Amino acid sequence: MSENILEVKDLVIHYETDEEVVEAVNDITFTLKKGQVMGLVGETGAGKTTTALGIMGLLPSKVGHVIQGSIKLEGEDLLRKSPREMRDVRGKRISMIFQDPMTALNPVKTVGDQIAEVVLLHNRCSKAEALKRAQEMLAMVGIVPERYKDYPHQFSGGMKQRIVIAIALACEPDLLIADEPTTALDVTIQAQILDMMRKLQKDHGTSMILITHDLGVVAEMCETVAVMYAGQLVEFGSLEEVFDNPKHPYTRALYQSIPSLDKDVERLHVIPGMVSDPSNLPPYCSFFERCDEKCDRCRDFEPWAVEVDPGHVVRCLQYTPEWNGGEK
Amino acid sequence: MLRYIVKRLLLLIPIILGVSAIIFILKTFTPGDPARQILGNDATQEQVDAKREELGLNDPVIVQYVRYIGGVVRGDFGESYRTGEPVLSEIVPRLATSAKITLGAVAIGAVLGILLGILSALKKYTWVDSLVLVISMFFQSVPEFVVALVLIMIFSVKLHLLPATGIETVKGYILPMVCVGLSSVASYTRITRSSMLEVLSEDYIRTARAKGQTEGNITYHHALRNAMIPVAQSIGTNLGNAIGGGMVLETVFGVPGVGKYIVDSITQRNYPSVLGGALIIAIVLTIINLVVDISFVLIDPRLKTTIISGGSKAPKKAKAAA
Repeated sequence: MSENILEVKDLVIHYETDEEVVEAVNDITFTLKKGQVMGLVGETGAGKTTTALGIMGLLPSKVGHVIQGSIKLEGEDLLRKSPREMRDVRGKRISMIFQDPMTALNPVKTVGDQIAEVVLLHNRCSKAEALKRAQEMLAMVGIVPERYKDYPHQFSGGMKQRIVIAIALACEPDLLIADEPTTALDVTIQAQILDMMRKLQKDHGTSMILITHDLGVVAEMCETVAVMYAGQLVEFGSLEEVFDNPKHPYTRALYQSIPSLDKDVERLHVIPGMVSDPSNLPPYCSFFERCDEKCDRCRDFEPWAVEVDPGHVVRCLQYTPEWNGGEK
Repeated sequence: MLRYIVKRLLLLIPIILGVSAIIFILKTFTPGDPARQILGNDATQEQVDAKREELGLNDPVIVQYVRYIGGVVRGDFGESYRTGEPVLSEIVPRLATSAKITLGAVAIGAVLGILLGILSALKKYTWVDSLVLVISMFFQSVPEFVVALVLIMIFSVKLHLLPATGIETVKGYILPMVCVGLSSVASYTRITRSSMLEVLSEDYIRTARAKGQTEGNITYHHALRNAMIPVAQSIGTNLGNAIGGGMVLETVFGVPGVGKYIVDSITQRNYPSVLGGALIIAIVLTIINLVVDISFVLIDPRLKTTIISGGSKAPKKAKAAA
């Protein structure tokens, strides 16, 4: 068995409607080692959630299509699996935590039933055993187990997210995808939830993809970082490489836009312009219009991924032999 | 919970006062003399005057009204001018007949409508969806009595399977039930369809898929119960409307129901029967609505907290809490 839990290669995902084709994910490649936590960062619309749904096999039916590429979970290509086989993967081997805990739980079912459901789906056990497991899970995420009979509306937002996490971890998955798990929560609760997730991840050795746009969270929790922009992975590498030695102009610009306590800056750096329209991407670098390191050659090619250091991949022309030294 | 029920039952007071006041006012403006109606054209003026005195028709309207309400409070809805029997004892068996047909009709309409609604939600924007829409719209657009006549033509006249009129046998109930039921299929179908589509796009459906749940179980266990909330609401309203609203069909099928009773009483200027009929229907409606509202707790646990605490704006609060 390989030491990589997940290998995503050349993945392209489009949303196709009658009017337009949205190129949500364009040719991304990354690997995740067992037990590792990878941060997937980027602004809204960069394709982070689409990537996650693609891995889960939960792209909106009829609209979302994987055009090419492969998604290998411990060497098995998930894209070749039948819907039935994928149902066995979801919840059991890969789980997902969604962004908004307020709407992620079924309002007319008790939280105990909702946790027990996933246990029953993937284990041979009785309803009573599943409910017992549900209570254990509640205790694990810091909720009084006796509350398994309560309905979601009787819990606060932070507690609902704990329940969502309990559902995701109930079958001890190999891979957990957390899609902005704390975005909908207030700051003090965010810290609690992240602490809990980190502890559970360490205890169980679960591999994790943490989708976020909070670079602080990434710095605290992740070992590797993938930066997405307009559906492309513009930079991928270890936390140290990407944070201390960012190579892509977009990653650098992102760091400049974080407020710093030790520097006295009047205004934060703003990346000018808007993200390219994913239904109308240019045939050249999609960051071109907003880049402050661009040169004329950038208009001629679409950049490809270059390994600048071992394990540190950047998709920018300035690291290719074609780069002509930034002449204007 | 008890507080909520009492609160809702207290609403009956303004309803009874209001309904009876409207009918009393209408009665004052209606030409014709009930006393003359009862005694016939051959009676002398003296007999008519004596009858008017006996019925209290010479008193001011307000006195008649107060006297009537006083009776209602004691459970006395007056006597029918035509038969002299207490209105209540005339209406109760007719109400039972109407209720049976209505319940059957709502059951037929709701079951068909919900099934078709689920089908078109799951097959949205396909030919199945369009076909369901056309069929259900057809039965909604064609007047009930036309459907009734066509059904009589087919099942009674041609096939001799079912009686055309009367409810002497159980078979007699079938055509009226089907007829009333079909007319409501369209609205259930549309409500179910839109409600299902909305629920199926909710985040918790995605959560269920992420658990590895099958599509069948997702539809049945996760979506259906949530989607049924607005459907149940409209079943409640329909149930009430259909009990009092079956006048035309009860006439077509010769069913001795409460609708036909009121229509007949109006033509006979039999005011106590009209009043009694209207009031009893209003009371039954209020109680049905209360039962329906309470039964929502079974479907939507969010309402439990608010109903038990006696709040009247239950759905709003539940949304805010969620």
